[in-house]
Amino acid sequence: MQKKKSNNVFEKIYMGIIFVFMYAPILTLIVLSFNSSKSRAKWGGFTFNWYIRLFSDSEVLNALANTLIIALIATIVATIIGTVTTVALVGLNRKTRAVIMGVTNIPMINADIVTGISLMLLFRVLHFNTGFFTVLIAHITFNIPYVMLSVMPRMKTISPSVYEAALDLGARPMYAFRKTVLPDLAPAVVSGALMAFTMSIDDFIITYFTKGSGFDTLSTKIYNEVKRGIQPEIYALSAIIFIVVLGLLFASNRMKNVKIKPREMDERKAKGRKVRLIAATAVAMAAIVFLGMLFGGVFSKKSNQVYVYNAGEYIDPEVIEMFEEEYGIEVIYDEFESNEIMYAKVAADNAAYDVLCPSDYMIAKLIQNDMLYEIDLDEFPNAQEYTGPQYFESAQAFDPGNKYAVPYFWGTVGILYNKTMVDEPVTSWDVLWDEKYSGEILMQDSIRDAFMVALARNGFSINSTDPKEIEIATQDLIDQSPLVQAYVVDQVRDKMIGNEAILGVIYSGEAIFTKRENPNLEYVIPDEGSNVWIDAWVITKDARNKENAKLWIDFMCRPDIALMNFEYITYSTPNIAAQEMIEDEDIRTSEVAFPPAETLKRCDTYVYLGEEGDRLYSDAWKKVKSAN
Amino acid sequence: MKKELIQLQHISKSYDGHMILDDLNLTIHENEFVTLLGPSGCGKTTTLRIIGGFERPDSGRVIFDGEDITELAPNRRQVNTVFQKYALFTHMDIAENIAFGLKIKNKSQAYIKDKIKYALKLVNLEGYEHRMPDTLSGGQQQRIAIARAIVNEPKVLLLDEPLGALDLKLRQEMQYELIRMKNELGITFIYVTHDQEEALTMSDHIVVMNKGYIQQEGTPEDIYNEPENAFVADFIGDSNIITATMVRDELVNILGTNFACVDKGFGENKPVDVVIRPEDVKLVERGKGTLPGVVSHIIFKGVHYEMEVQAGGFEWLVHSTRMNEVGSEVDIRVDPFNIQVMNRPASEDEEAIGVAE
Repeated sequence: MQKKKSNNVFEKIYMGIIFVFMYAPILTLIVLSFNSSKSRAKWGGFTFNWYIRLFSDSEVLNALANTLIIALIATIVATIIGTVTTVALVGLNRKTRAVIMGVTNIPMINADIVTGISLMLLFRVLHFNTGFFTVLIAHITFNIPYVMLSVMPRMKTISPSVYEAALDLGARPMYAFRKTVLPDLAPAVVSGALMAFTMSIDDFIITYFTKGSGFDTLSTKIYNEVKRGIQPEIYALSAIIFIVVLGLLFASNRMKNVKIKPREMDERKAKGRKVRLIAATAVAMAAIVFLGMLFGGVFSKKSNQVYVYNAGEYIDPEVIEMFEEEYGIEVIYDEFESNEIMYAKVAADNAAYDVLCPSDYMIAKLIQNDMLYEIDLDEFPNAQEYTGPQYFESAQAFDPGNKYAVPYFWGTVGILYNKTMVDEPVTSWDVLWDEKYSGEILMQDSIRDAFMVALARNGFSINSTDPKEIEIATQDLIDQSPLVQAYVVDQVRDKMIGNEAILGVIYSGEAIFTKRENPNLEYVIPDEGSNVWIDAWVITKDARNKENAKLWIDFMCRPDIALMNFEYITYSTPNIAAQEMIEDEDIRTSEVAFPPAETLKRCDTYVYLGEEGDRLYSDAWKKVKSAN
Repeated sequence: MKKELIQLQHISKSYDGHMILDDLNLTIHENEFVTLLGPSGCGKTTTLRIIGGFERPDSGRVIFDGEDITELAPNRRQVNTVFQKYALFTHMDIAENIAFGLKIKNKSQAYIKDKIKYALKLVNLEGYEHRMPDTLSGGQQQRIAIARAIVNEPKVLLLDEPLGALDLKLRQEMQYELIRMKNELGITFIYVTHDQEEALTMSDHIVVMNKGYIQQEGTPEDIYNEPENAFVADFIGDSNIITATMVRDELVNILGTNFACVDKGFGENKPVDVVIRPEDVKLVERGKGTLPGVVSHIIFKGVHYEMEVQAGGFEWLVHSTRMNEVGSEVDIRVDPFNIQVMNRPASEDEEAIGVAE
């Protein structure tokens, strides 16, 4: 007895651990969705704000509507095809059936990435315009096996003699099927449909490859935001999705169980419950369709458009609406996660977007590969009047003669430190090699930024391609690695706000935000110099809407628009007029946002290193990473 | 002679190159209880399904009441089927199940109501209109299946091993029920079973089948008493089937001993099979019978004792109300009219084709 009891306790603890593992992440997410602080590390009080903001964010809602419409249509079509196929399959002999089942299961068993890429290639070959319909076709494709998998076992339990009995009693084949097979099959069909619906909402990879430009579902939309850190609205949205999917799952399970113990149920009750379930499903579907129609305008393609490809979270969404209203031009707006991904997409189809917003070194690469359209600055009156001439001058480093790019935002890379935790003033990159701070240092997980720190510390050019200098920098980084707490990207700000680290390499724009959350944090550009980066607007060489693209770029240079974007993004704006309009004096005069000219003199922009240079850096980076 | 209702003419059917029926010819008369009897795989169910219209024969014709219905869809035939596993519509109540065929035929509400009442009375389940099929026992479900079929007033009711899933007691009860229903309805029943006892109990006419061929047709008495070959003899009841030699007319040599019999016309010194039913083997005192033997085994079966007797190098099965102890020395005696002599087939195929040739 005693032994059994202790076993029981063990079992309970074990179960408890499993539940914690499974649900702790989701609970964290739900809790954070009510956290009024933007930081993941700090509880700022309870709020519904993120939910409210979520429902006023038209882009997210559009993506949501797309997701639901795709899921709904794909589910209906896949359910019909899957059910009919299954019914037909049961009539075949076992061998043929096994072969066909195997073939139809391929989209499910296959790695998503393979399915996604092969569908994308197929659409390319067939000259389909990627977008809503290609995503829909892809979703139908991968949903069919899920429906079949759900319907097949049920179909096998249905004795063919029930159908034959109906024929025997004078029913025509369709009537017999409808009256006898379908009612028995219904729970499995509905559960298959729910499964397909869930899979469809869930899918990212296949959607990503088949969606083309200007069309996003929730999953691809959320992914785009990863670059600049996920916004709390997304927590709110994820929490809602989790609850809805959980609900669907319960419904699906109940559907499956409806017929298992009919003896225990009064017949009327059984009937009533079935009717209620079906009604509930129907109402849910209708609600989704209604929601879909509300946002249905997304699909109607107007001729007057501009295709914009920008980094994630890199514009105030209101600005897009204002532009559309003012010019009557529809903006097809997509976001990229990194310059490299943007480059790959533009290299594959130069005309996919009209206007891009890459970083300095990437603009150099685009120019070198003849992928940009040469502009005449006279056509950009706002840019000429309000953008500081010093920024055009800096831009010459990657765009000699200012023939392609109009600066959008800029910033520096520096050290963020907690002034209560360091003894001496931080002025040099050397502090990142101080053993005193072992385990309290955060480095950027990016090749150029990491090497920039090591190169600058040694007094080398941050664009060095001298193998000897790279070797020294590499050794420095390897020596430093035991002291580094982590190589991260956007977690620097959260960890610093939460006092989880003392020193971190960070972008200036993030620094302004972190200071607001934790006043003990200071940002400094070390004396050895650093990177100053510029992101700028460019027009693709084969752009279809060049005139609209020009209007877009100059609109971004209008002081009020530049100000809106500055307040949304908090990186440094090159727009002098906008800078003067900043209300918050601390920020207007902030040396973080607008460092003095002498500091900037110590900073360089990144230059495109060429293919050989790229390889040199990435080989060295591998050495650093494997030394960890 | 009764009117001929169904004729199967030269029916052949195979699945995946596997022959199920080969040139089958069968005539079924009006108002008969016909049983297709045979082991599984003998083609009896396929024959029934061809009559019901669920299978098309590869060749041959199905004539129903003088009309060729070979190509007619099942929903347009004047036959109804009772399936082995009841095949009730589980999401409809009993009344809806029974009314299914009538509603398709657009019968009036009043007519349907009457019919349901009548059918439920016929199958002894009055008052079950609003029960769901799941709440009934196997026997009750089978009765509903019968009720559902007969309300359509078919000329022929096809029953595919309808009692197979029931327990022994219920099965025996249902056998009498079926005979009663058949007499009340006055229609033809075609019944498929592998249970020879069921066949003997209920049928007017038995068709014994094996490997796609008809082995023997006749009344239960014909089939039981005068099996035409070893297969039929073996399949219908317990038998002693012994290879023997026909010495001449009315004399057969069994295991080296001559027995008097009543069969003629096999020729002289011809190899034959003889069938002797266990209840026809008489055990008498040593010296008073034909063949000496020793009792080797005995079981009490209730009505009789079942004994095994070693005699002439063969193990004889004997049913008797009198017991002889194990080890007792006895003689075997068989009355001449209880020895059934049959032609011996040369090969297994010939055995299957049997007397159909």
